[in-house]
Amino acid sequence: MIAPKRLSVTFDFEDFSLDVEAFIPVFHRWIRENAVPNELLLDVADYKHIVNGPALLLVGHEADYVIDMTDKPGLQYIRKRELGADLSQALERTVQQALQGVKLTETDVDLRDKLKLRTDAATIAFVDRLNYPNNDSGAASVQAHLADSLATVFGDDASVTRIDNDPREPLTFSVTSSQ
Amino acid sequence: MSNTSWKEILLEDMPTDMAHEVDIFEGQMELMGQGKLNEKVFAETRLRRGVYGQRYDNGQRHDGFESRSLAFEEKERVKGPDTLWHAPGMQRIKVPFGGLTPDQLDVLAQVADEYSDSILHVTTRQDIQLHFVHIEDTPDMMRRLAAVGITTREACGNSVRNVTCCHLAGVCRTEVFDATPYADALTQFLLGHDDVQDFGRKFKPAFSGCESEACGLVMMHDLGFLSQIREVDGKQQRGFKVFVGGGLGTVPHQAKVLSEFTAAEEILPQAQAVARVFARLGEKRNRNRARIKFLVAQLGIEEFRRLVEEERQVLPHDDRWTAYLDTLGHYEEKPARPPTFLNGQLHSSGFNKWFETNVYTQRQEGYSVVTINLPLGDLTSKQTWVLADIARKYVGDTVRTTVEQNIVLRWVSDADLPNLYEELKAIDLGEPGAATIVDITACPGTDTCKLGIASSRGLAAEMRTRLTAKSASLPDAIKDLKIKISGCFNSCGQHHIADIGFFGNSRRSGNYKMPHFQVVLGGKWQDNAGSYGLAVGAVPSKTVPQVVDTITNRYVDEREKGESFQEWIGRIGKKEARNLIRPFMKLPAFEQQPDYFSDWNDPRVFSLGDIGVGECAGEVVSLFSMEIATAESEAFEAQVALDEGDPTRADALAYSAMVKAARALVRTQFLDVGDELNRIVQEFKTRFFDTELFFDQYAKGKFGQYLLERHQSPNLNPDSDSAHRLIEEALLFIEATHACESKVGGNVLVEL
Repeated sequence: MIAPKRLSVTFDFEDFSLDVEAFIPVFHRWIRENAVPNELLLDVADYKHIVNGPALLLVGHEADYVIDMTDKPGLQYIRKRELGADLSQALERTVQQALQGVKLTETDVDLRDKLKLRTDAATIAFVDRLNYPNNDSGAASVQAHLADSLATVFGDDASVTRIDNDPREPLTFSVTSSQ
Repeated sequence: MSNTSWKEILLEDMPTDMAHEVDIFEGQMELMGQGKLNEKVFAETRLRRGVYGQRYDNGQRHDGFESRSLAFEEKERVKGPDTLWHAPGMQRIKVPFGGLTPDQLDVLAQVADEYSDSILHVTTRQDIQLHFVHIEDTPDMMRRLAAVGITTREACGNSVRNVTCCHLAGVCRTEVFDATPYADALTQFLLGHDDVQDFGRKFKPAFSGCESEACGLVMMHDLGFLSQIREVDGKQQRGFKVFVGGGLGTVPHQAKVLSEFTAAEEILPQAQAVARVFARLGEKRNRNRARIKFLVAQLGIEEFRRLVEEERQVLPHDDRWTAYLDTLGHYEEKPARPPTFLNGQLHSSGFNKWFETNVYTQRQEGYSVVTINLPLGDLTSKQTWVLADIARKYVGDTVRTTVEQNIVLRWVSDADLPNLYEELKAIDLGEPGAATIVDITACPGTDTCKLGIASSRGLAAEMRTRLTAKSASLPDAIKDLKIKISGCFNSCGQHHIADIGFFGNSRRSGNYKMPHFQVVLGGKWQDNAGSYGLAVGAVPSKTVPQVVDTITNRYVDEREKGESFQEWIGRIGKKEARNLIRPFMKLPAFEQQPDYFSDWNDPRVFSLGDIGVGECAGEVVSLFSMEIATAESEAFEAQVALDEGDPTRADALAYSAMVKAARALVRTQFLDVGDELNRIVQEFKTRFFDTELFFDQYAKGKFGQYLLERHQSPNLNPDSDSAHRLIEEALLFIEATHACESKVGGNVLVEL
């Protein structure tokens, strides 16, 4: 299966009590220090004024990191470029980089001990309506593919469930670790 | 999973001409990639497709300590001069008269999350903008938009920009008649027209239905149309009062009357004639003088009118001039629901508050217009899908964007208002306060704009939060004041027509730059942008909330019964207005107030580029700082003289302020320049203008020319218009002097 144009992975925060504003200097520092290997970080976009939205974006060339407050607080990693040759590669690269983002966030000098992200579950969205339309026909094969590709991260018995969202939204799955 | 493309899938859905245009653009991208197209030509090509540059696209970014190179791949590949191919850009999407359908909202939301950052931004020209877009995604984005009838053609570049129109047109209680069909006809007629392809600069038209409301803001437009009806032989004839040569920008101009009445069947040929005159005689080389307002000012409105009338006589006939008049009925909106009434049931206090500010009673009984108060003009893709469904349910295809960066739903059947409110609230779009002091307009500023100096959005977000928190206790007198913020002098936030306007600039304190905002008071939103405010002084960005409190408190305390904010500012005068903000104009040293040296929600030190050796704030100040202050005072005196009805003195003072600023700058290199005017100007020209040290990165030598032109050609009979303009020019010249001194780094110190 071909790599989607964009793929996003979201990990939820546990008991998120930080002010989103706290991430602004952190993200600026990440840009200054080239904190993410193999990714070019460009800018910080502030959308805190939007309630229940992508509050803060660390915009990059290959990927964006989003403090997403849409439903529940989470760290969303959106891979936009160089996803890989096929879906398996795209999933592997995106999830690994997203986990790298989790580590970077949890261990950041200004955030350490102030937050925790849940990596035993994730939301994965195929932001590519041309190749991955949000309908029943393609969802089943993607679902099987997801379970296989994500076994190394979420375990062999990971549960993959298609999220019943609006058909205009991206095709989206929730993945939960069996462990 | 398919291997097809959007081009194939949408082939049947796209109008042929739109599909062809996108193919051509894609081909030009290909040629550019192969190095077969001149970069300037390609830049203008992509701009005319709405594909715009964005901050840092030259591959440089200041990180608070130093300017650093961004390690894009293929750094030699560009999409225009000094604009890297791979750097993200902005996509502007034209929305003629702000009209949108639910289907269009759906697609806008989808392209926002696939190609941008899931945020749709409504602009002050009723456009939609998406940011952080990669150029290679734009052809497919355009195809998807074209499939629902949206074009990005001529959204930027030296072309006819989005034709704006009052969002209440057709349902307004005070309009002469609905200007919407005419705005759309002009849009379609001029889009891609041969006669609008050779402008030196952009060209912005607008339509209004009411003279005394803000409506379409025709007085600040290149070409403005105001609905009029006259009686001929006992029959009513529709037409427009036509204005030309208005504009905000660095030096604002009020539009002049081109024609007291142009019949509806004549507006398209007249606009075509105006375009031809502008294309033929408008400035092409100096883009800073290339807007039509400069041509009208240079020729005088009488000569301009004569040339337009002459041009009109030789225009070859075009059936399209009047063909649209047969389709006017097509524009009649059909409500989705029958008219009903909001009977006297009890409603929640949230609903009542929202109803008070966000609901406008249409002239059609039983219907209302609901304004969705978008914070900073932004909404998410997710909100947009639900909003599209809400529109389908309650109003159908009658959604419009507004120039105050909001969205309106027209033809809401009144009994539906409580349910509609609840549904909007569920997606966080039920905020009250539309068109009040909390509903602040702001351009993108330093968030994404290459020209931004200070953070207009950061300031607007802060002001919105603070004012919303105390909105219940705000005095009635200030609740409806307009606050508008631009990130620089270019006025995209329309600060000139706000009660309280701001535009971004900077000042130096010691070795550091500090983000500032010029305070512009007394502009008039009503009467179609009836008059422009004047700058009274610059304050540190971080003091702006206190500045607003100080000004509004004083207004509340001192206003006379029924006195508007503009009238109050007029009564106290600019001098007293400046006194109001004077306590905030003092610049603290970095060590005293380090947070003043960063912008709102941006922890980077504003700039360290001008760190010099030997200056130590608090102990010494530069000679330049001392002398430039005199120039600023003189510019202010010029404003006072103008207020007092003495344009001759105002003109002289504004000129003198520029000379003093130039002298201050010259003396950073040549202390003994003396006081002789010719020598000061000559030294300024040789040392700073000819060497381009004085040049702004984007405006180039424009600000320096203000002094050189006034010095060479004094105005022997200045009137209030020309004096006003010269004052504006003097203020910009002084700003440029500050910027130049910061860049060059003055080294002459005076011990206090």
